[in-house]
Amino acid sequence: MATVVGNGGGSGDRPGARGRATVPGRQGVTGPELATPPLVVRRREEEETVVTFPALVYREFLAASAITAFLMLVSTWVNAPLLQRANTAITPNPAKAPWYFLGLQELLERFPPVMAGVAFPTFVIVGMMLTPYIDKNPSRRPQDRKVAIVLMTIYIMLAVAFVVIGVFFRGTAFTWQWDRLLGHPGVHPGT
Amino acid sequence: MRASGAGPNPLVRFASQIWGSIFRHGLPSTDKVAARTALTNFFLHIHPVRVKKSAIRVSYTLCLGGLSFFLFILLTISGLFLMFYYIPSVDQAYQNIKDLQFVETFGLVTRNLHRWAAHGMVITVWLHMARVFYQGSYKPPREFNWAIGSILLVVTLLLSFSGYLLPWDQLAVWAITVGTNMAKYAPIGGPYTRYVMLGGRTVGQGALIRFYVLHVVALPLIGFILMVIHFWRVRKDGFTGGL
Repeated sequence: MATVVGNGGGSGDRPGARGRATVPGRQGVTGPELATPPLVVRRREEEETVVTFPALVYREFLAASAITAFLMLVSTWVNAPLLQRANTAITPNPAKAPWYFLGLQELLERFPPVMAGVAFPTFVIVGMMLTPYIDKNPSRRPQDRKVAIVLMTIYIMLAVAFVVIGVFFRGTAFTWQWDRLLGHPGVHPGT
Repeated sequence: MRASGAGPNPLVRFASQIWGSIFRHGLPSTDKVAARTALTNFFLHIHPVRVKKSAIRVSYTLCLGGLSFFLFILLTISGLFLMFYYIPSVDQAYQNIKDLQFVETFGLVTRNLHRWAAHGMVITVWLHMARVFYQGSYKPPREFNWAIGSILLVVTLLLSFSGYLLPWDQLAVWAITVGTNMAKYAPIGGPYTRYVMLGGRTVGQGALIRFYVLHVVALPLIGFILMVIHFWRVRKDGFTGGL
């Protein structure tokens, strides 16, 4: 019993003192920590912790195993595409960029090239990198961040929509075609 | 042989000495052992010894950052195997891929794995970005780490894009033709930028060797260095934890 008290007193002395000192001054303290609202600070003190090994390492191992198994299964059944040998004399119609750039290709269809090919992508990349410096709102709670969440959701929905359009609805000469999705991919009534 | 000693058999003792010299601490039987194991293990020291329980909830992180990194490792390993069979020459590249598909043992499944994992990584990195945004985890003091993450997203796209050309089939060449055509529109030096990217005016041998070197050396190296910084900062700033 005596040793327990001694241990507790010895090791808990400094953190305890620090904790006691911060309690009255919590509202008034300034420093990097204070960018977060008091609610979050209080939560942080009460947070329960676990040892990363095994708690986190175990989860990482499971996630890695699961995705490996999934990809092995897919790779066993679905072959990566390989068309005829490259021939610069024969242009496929439509000629499409990889799917993650189809949003950009879609923009090129709709806007002047300088805007779609250069201005928009630059704006998106630079804007993304500067996001934390532009968004000065210190709160992480969704109810305090309505504007940020709405803007991001609009951006994501537009990006996904353009990629989906590019993959499924763009046919010969990159014109709009329903039949790529609705069957008869070889028949193009417009041509 | 010796009367004193822990092991019953000198061979077992020798083996356990070797094992003990490699793994200094055992499996995490108690929190104290677990903490020591994490501290003294090179690979585990990417993590802090203790984390907030809410920060590692699967429903909070969705494992997306970790999965992105794991897919990068998977792509590095499968890509290394593919490199043994692939020659970045317009005369040979396509036949190399055909051989991988129909001749080499496990060539087909390795190429498939590399391809699908690459698409997977584009998706997980993208979702990781969305996850971090929606949870506001980019806020101070993590502003700069978000910027590094943004560059990592671009590096991921460029890695995938540069790899797209290598099979040298109709899909590859025309996708790169369309993709690099966008660079032409830059108001200052647009056509020149494309010329530098392709090493010529059309997608040919110059483009293939450039994309190959970028794909197997330059971009993975840049990505790896940025990832090291990204993880180091996550480690130093701590996990944000549940909302």
